[in-house]
Amino acid sequence: MNFDLVAQLAISGLVIGSLYALLGVSFGLVYQTSKIFHLAGAIPFAAAGYAAVWAAKSLQLSIWLSIFIGLAAAVIIGVLILVLGYFPLIKKKATLLSLFLISLGLSVAFPNLLQIVFGVDNLPLEVYDAEGNPAVPFANPTYASGFLTITKLNIVQVVSSWLLVIAVLYTIKKTALGRSITALRTNPAMASAVGINNKVVYLVVFSVSSFLMGVAGILITLQFVANPTMGLQWTLIGFIAVFFGGITSLGGSALGGLILGLLSSLSGIWLGSQYAPIVTFAILFLTLLIRPQGLFGKEAI
Amino acid sequence: MAYYSQIAINIMVLITLGVSLNLLLGLIGRVSMAQSILFGIGAFTAARLALPHRTPEMADNVSGIGYGLNWPWYVAIAGAIVVTFIAALIISIPAVRIIRGEYLILLTLAFQLGGQQTMVVAKTATGGAYGVAGIPPITIGEIDFSGYTDLGTFHIAIVMFIVTLLVILIAFGIANSPFGRILKTLREQDSVVSSVGKNPVTPELLAFGIAAAIAGGIGAIFALSQGAIIPGNFNLDLSILIISVVVLGGTGNLLGTVIGAIFLGALEPILRSALGDSAIPWRAVIYGSALILMTYLRPQGILPEGAKLKLRRKSRQESIPVTQAEAIARLCRTKELAGFNSDEVLELRDLKKSFGGLTAVNGASFKIPRGKITALIGPNGAGKTTIFNMITGTLKPDSGQVYLRDKEITLLGAVKIAQSGIARSFQDVRLCERLTALENVMVAVPNQLGENLLNLVFKPRACRRREKEVRARAFECLAVLGVADKAFELISDLSYGDQKLVAIARLLATDCEVLLLDEPTSGVDPSNVEGVMQGVMKLRDIGCTVCLIEHSVYFVEKLADRAVFLDQGVVLAEGSVESLMNNKELSELYFGG
Repeated sequence: MNFDLVAQLAISGLVIGSLYALLGVSFGLVYQTSKIFHLAGAIPFAAAGYAAVWAAKSLQLSIWLSIFIGLAAAVIIGVLILVLGYFPLIKKKATLLSLFLISLGLSVAFPNLLQIVFGVDNLPLEVYDAEGNPAVPFANPTYASGFLTITKLNIVQVVSSWLLVIAVLYTIKKTALGRSITALRTNPAMASAVGINNKVVYLVVFSVSSFLMGVAGILITLQFVANPTMGLQWTLIGFIAVFFGGITSLGGSALGGLILGLLSSLSGIWLGSQYAPIVTFAILFLTLLIRPQGLFGKEAI
Repeated sequence: MAYYSQIAINIMVLITLGVSLNLLLGLIGRVSMAQSILFGIGAFTAARLALPHRTPEMADNVSGIGYGLNWPWYVAIAGAIVVTFIAALIISIPAVRIIRGEYLILLTLAFQLGGQQTMVVAKTATGGAYGVAGIPPITIGEIDFSGYTDLGTFHIAIVMFIVTLLVILIAFGIANSPFGRILKTLREQDSVVSSVGKNPVTPELLAFGIAAAIAGGIGAIFALSQGAIIPGNFNLDLSILIISVVVLGGTGNLLGTVIGAIFLGALEPILRSALGDSAIPWRAVIYGSALILMTYLRPQGILPEGAKLKLRRKSRQESIPVTQAEAIARLCRTKELAGFNSDEVLELRDLKKSFGGLTAVNGASFKIPRGKITALIGPNGAGKTTIFNMITGTLKPDSGQVYLRDKEITLLGAVKIAQSGIARSFQDVRLCERLTALENVMVAVPNQLGENLLNLVFKPRACRRREKEVRARAFECLAVLGVADKAFELISDLSYGDQKLVAIARLLATDCEVLLLDEPTSGVDPSNVEGVMQGVMKLRDIGCTVCLIEHSVYFVEKLADRAVFLDQGVVLAEGSVESLMNNKELSELYFGG
């Protein structure tokens, strides 16, 4: 077995797994609080990528300002989905199925709108240097030997993902806000009886979740490109991470994402990389068959 | 002409796919995001079965695959149907066995996206992104069915028209059969199906299989008529389009699906003539928005399921076939039941159950005498409902046994226990709101031939005959409870008191000897309590053994022959109601003195 290959696959598995962890926590947060299958989480993801590309290309802003605009777009659009999309239905006590249908409608309309506005082309996130030449930021390798390359971007991806994951987990455990979220998740009726405002908690949860989606969207656009269908492919992995790790545990979702990333990447030792999505699906299928509560889930369902 | 024929074909493909999804979304209330890929699996299977053998001059073709098994077209279609049926069974096994709702969404979504990727990657099977070409058309005699000629396309449209009618007919038959009734019950109250002694898993799996088989069969016809297919034909957007068709038209309404499909299917050519190639994304924006608007403004769709019902209800103002007295006489079982020598029907021996650190039931033992009404009483948290759950098999006791006559039923499982003669009602009535009172009761009648799909196909006449008997029996049960005049009302239109009576009638329809009632009067407004009480007494009159949980002292005193007093999971006392009520200690405990 080629050591370099295995090491390279492990590193790309770590990078991808960290992003999956981020997506898993983002989706898990929404799912645990509201029970909504928030397929439209793909929208802030893609919106962040496109807004950042647009800011860098059309406004010629620096990379940090572009990222800021991307994240702002993600949060704004995520909150809009909640306020305009879900709130009216929650007020009418609609079923989870109709909430999902709203989510589904949004997630088919939005990427197609992106395609109408920006075209089907793949758009890289490039900033212009002093001479006016476009360049992808963070791309220069910091370490390279034989097969093995680790770019600056890889380090940024891993570090920022885990910092955010840990920050969210810490907030949930230790702060009053986190306790409100936990209360709402475990007993919504009681939570509102003791004066926890559902609406505020939902707003916070969706902002945070959309922010995390936005970060993931930008980190992925930096590595690859922005294209209209980018959202759903990646966020689906977030859902899978949650169910694989265990829907009852956010930390489980994060670890589930990491393991999923490592497994799908390391499967490249035996299979081509084009099989990674199939491996991911197989893992989901086996999890639901053998351990439906997920790897780190507590109660049986 | 080929242009219009092709539009008609596309619309009919959409109709059939919509109808197939409606079997899931409409009947069981489950979403499948994989209808598009199942359609594709059918198409590729049929294509590879029907293509001619590989010839030496056939080079490794860069642009797709052009060879296969050279089977006749009808065998290819049959093959596609079988393959998709099996594929759907496999994906839905984890979904129906243990898990529901959003698990299924995720599983089918992942199957859709994973499947798309597999189709591109598995080049030896599907030709990769370039797909399969040169698929031979359907051949019947000399008729031209080629998708490349005007006349051929027209002929295909005619074939599709016949197939569409057939698919609608099949779906209609399923929806209105006893099998469909179980699916509708699963949609609204999935715990009820097993509580009346019926297996909930097989019907749901079969429904998935059939929905997939229809999609696969249509996929096969699609492949044979197009001549060439690529994986891109079967993407997620198509799955969402199919869902939009069903939601737009109205879930559970087949005519609605047809209208939805015509509307969304006709949209593409109209947009194309106006916008050219950007028609595709525009159409997706439109049906996505339509899905959203419809969910807000008219969640029941263009034609709600009830639209059909209302018409029927008016035309079928039939008179009630039996009076209450006749029904009681017909259902009376006291004589047959007198044949058993034992007087104790049900016996609990030292049942224990704890949840984590909390002991709910701590060694409860008591017997329930035949043909009497026994009340379980005691303060909240005494473990009464937990005992019901253990008797009926929805909870496994930690230790102890339950005997029905002399047969141990402790670990039989909910379905088997209900079949051996114990049925229960629930505190919340758990009736299906979108069904009529009669249909709600009919679900519970045992031994229905039409619940088995094979019987529906091979013994339609016997099924129809049995259905008539089932209907008559359900009427009798409603009549015994005095609500036969409400038979054709939707449950959502009934008062809560009447709903409780319908729920008891459903219990009666199971033919079970022992009926467990969980708080029959809770939530019923005082003017209706008397009616419910009369109903429970009728159950005793016809020979049923009743055990009920009840908080109303008035009710217990008036009705129960015996009472068992529970507190903190143990039996404190049992005996006549009077003796328990006169016991000072107990009444203090009960009323929180």
